[in-house]
Amino acid sequence: MKIKYLLDEEEIPKKWYNVAADMPTPLDPPLHPGTLKPLSASDMEMIFPKALIQQEMSTQRWIDIPEEVRDIYRLWRPTPLYRAAGLEKALQTPAKIYYKYEGVSPAGSHKPNTAVPQAYYNMKEGIERLATETGAGQWGSALSLATCLFGLQCTVYMVRSSFDSKPYRKSAMRVWGADCFASPSDKTNFGRKILAETPDTPGSLGIAISEAVEDAASHDNTNYALGSVLNHVLIHQSIEGLELKKQFDLADDYPDVMFGCCGGGSNFPGMVFPFIPDKMKDKKDLRMVACEPSACPTLTKGPFAYDFGDTAGMAPVIKMYTLGHDFIPPGIHAGGLRYHGDAPLLCNLVHDGLIEATALQQTEAFEAGTLFARTEGIIPAPEASHAIKPAIDEARRCKQTGEAKTIFISLSGHGHFDLAAYDAYNDGKLVDYEYPADLVKQSLAKLPKV
Amino acid sequence: MTQRVGKIGFLINPIAGMGGAVGLKGTDGLAGQALARGAKPQAPERAMACLHLLSREADGLLFLAASGEMGGRALSECDLHYQVVYDVPQDSSSQDTKAACHAFLEKGVDLILFCGGDGTARDVAGSVGKLPILGIPAGVKMHSGVFAISPQAAAQLALGFMRGELKARETEIVDVDEELYRAGELQTRLYAVACTPYQPVLVQERKRIYVSGNEEEFKDQIALFASEFMRDGSAYILGAGTTTARIAELLQVEKTLLGVDVVQNGKLIQKDASEKDLLALLDREKSVKIIVSPIGAQGFILGRGSQQISAAVLRNVGEENLIIVSTPHKLAELRQLLVDTGDELMDKILAKKRLVVTGYRIAQRKETVAASALHDI
Repeated sequence: MKIKYLLDEEEIPKKWYNVAADMPTPLDPPLHPGTLKPLSASDMEMIFPKALIQQEMSTQRWIDIPEEVRDIYRLWRPTPLYRAAGLEKALQTPAKIYYKYEGVSPAGSHKPNTAVPQAYYNMKEGIERLATETGAGQWGSALSLATCLFGLQCTVYMVRSSFDSKPYRKSAMRVWGADCFASPSDKTNFGRKILAETPDTPGSLGIAISEAVEDAASHDNTNYALGSVLNHVLIHQSIEGLELKKQFDLADDYPDVMFGCCGGGSNFPGMVFPFIPDKMKDKKDLRMVACEPSACPTLTKGPFAYDFGDTAGMAPVIKMYTLGHDFIPPGIHAGGLRYHGDAPLLCNLVHDGLIEATALQQTEAFEAGTLFARTEGIIPAPEASHAIKPAIDEARRCKQTGEAKTIFISLSGHGHFDLAAYDAYNDGKLVDYEYPADLVKQSLAKLPKV
Repeated sequence: MTQRVGKIGFLINPIAGMGGAVGLKGTDGLAGQALARGAKPQAPERAMACLHLLSREADGLLFLAASGEMGGRALSECDLHYQVVYDVPQDSSSQDTKAACHAFLEKGVDLILFCGGDGTARDVAGSVGKLPILGIPAGVKMHSGVFAISPQAAAQLALGFMRGELKARETEIVDVDEELYRAGELQTRLYAVACTPYQPVLVQERKRIYVSGNEEEFKDQIALFASEFMRDGSAYILGAGTTTARIAELLQVEKTLLGVDVVQNGKLIQKDASEKDLLALLDREKSVKIIVSPIGAQGFILGRGSQQISAAVLRNVGEENLIIVSTPHKLAELRQLLVDTGDELMDKILAKKRLVVTGYRIAQRKETVAASALHDI
């Protein structure tokens, strides 16, 4: 059985795909957080380069990938598509299981797919420094790598609890030349204010975003960069799915069902969006399933409504599935899946019924991740394990029904920085959280009325 | 060869637990008042629940008892082999508990099995030194570690100990100052150290009041979330405890720390409610919900501390309207949540994996078990 489906460097796509061109329902516009009026390009210019703002507002189907960006993509792209022969054997399933592994990037995840073009466009427009936030550290490492390759400076505001618990993430950022501060920090007005009020706070992603945005807005040479949610991020990530289509051609196969983990939306949409036109035409049975944690079940339990993108209410107000901008998800180990909302492009497609969503507990995700490591070798990131578990369930169903379905798993990254979480799982110390949806429904009067 | 006869000193505090259902938070010195408020004696019934189980395997056991309602009557009804070693005068008091214990001590009993609450435990422990004692829970407050989690569990522990299968361990006798307790201030004091038969799960841990900065934050989160979902117009019965007190604090309503209050639309509509008050509330209000939290390290959500929320109240409210709140810290130390409403059917309805709110829009599931079912484990 052939295990790896590899593309040549020259087959790295030359254009990104923009699903906005094929949406059955167009996006509702993002709103200014102060005026609640539609956001204009000039509103965004304070913190984003013009090229990215254009992409953000574009409905053009194909967008050229600059050669300088493709040159850097060559460091790890195209990423391999694997046939999960070991996992299939262990499950004794007639199903065929494939996974595409983004953990081969220098930062160990899919995040550099957008960090590299973001750093490039900022460099081209004369920006000298990027400011960003990071929760678990994957995005911070990816942007540190990308800025380093284009000769930019980088400042990362890392949520204090992660800063303390994942020391090697910040070590990696330091090696790539970035400054990484625990957030809240004494570097911004907002950080100082929070520190004065609550000196011992563990911080939150919302606070870190506010610090990074303030940093960017108050320095002319500095812009802000975000690793998920925004349209331009999803455009850049489409490179995954475009490669995947070619690789399935090589394997002479086509997926029946695709699973990917989903926090704010970047890896999953990147992998599945290039399949949306197929689904709308001749592949109507193709299922694309976003996998999220039960502790933060945005797509499965949240209402579809306008809400702020950050906790402080400084980021644009966007139409999405949301658990409320004031919700800080519990400290599950899949830190990358802790976001109260989801990418508007993805939310629209879920709302239109083209994409499904499912939610699962972290213990079952770690159990699946462990089985994967023992059969396929790779220790998956806890985030990616959220996609593995439903795929295993699907393969087990196939064993019962005798169907030889083609199942795809998006393996977004490795878990080498998450071994403490695996220890907690093996010691039986993981807590499974649940979102009290009925009680929240009772209390959801807090979303801004538009 | 004669079989060795094990001797158990047995006594009941007949008035224990009467204050609970009528909102008195303890019955010390208030038995008359409790009776006037319509309280019914509970201790004899709970003692009998234990004795019935014991009577099935009582070969080789001799009970030494106080007379009449303080023990003899219940033993006689359960056909147990017993001798009265202390005659109780007409109006019994805590002095009689102590005197009976001295008599048990003189007769060389192996174990004292008593039925009561923290006050009774104090009297017993204060009189017997290191002699093992075991409580059948029947009081309003049972913070001491000598109580089995149910009368049935007490029977199992007593038998295990008498057969030499279980050992005794030291535990603290704590009690709440009832004057302060009625005024809403929770001050547990350590009164004595006693020995008690021990088997994990079946004995109550001494109630702990947790204080940690981190945990306080979670209480605030729970309170904030509750204050939001409580805006639905329902009347909310708030059980005893420091977590529910934080909700009241945020709503700026006065909370009876160890009693039950009712809040509606952010306003206190009934302070320190009795079971009767709650049933009357249920007659006039369309939508009523209950918020309770597990009590200390015991994990009781119903049946300890908030007896006003009786089986009848729960039946009326509906188990789907029972909201449990707890800090994750407290929850992590509990193997399960326990219920003991005194009504087997209601306990069965309540026993399942229940949602527990542990933070702002955050919850966990926790196994909830009828305390009376645990003796089978």
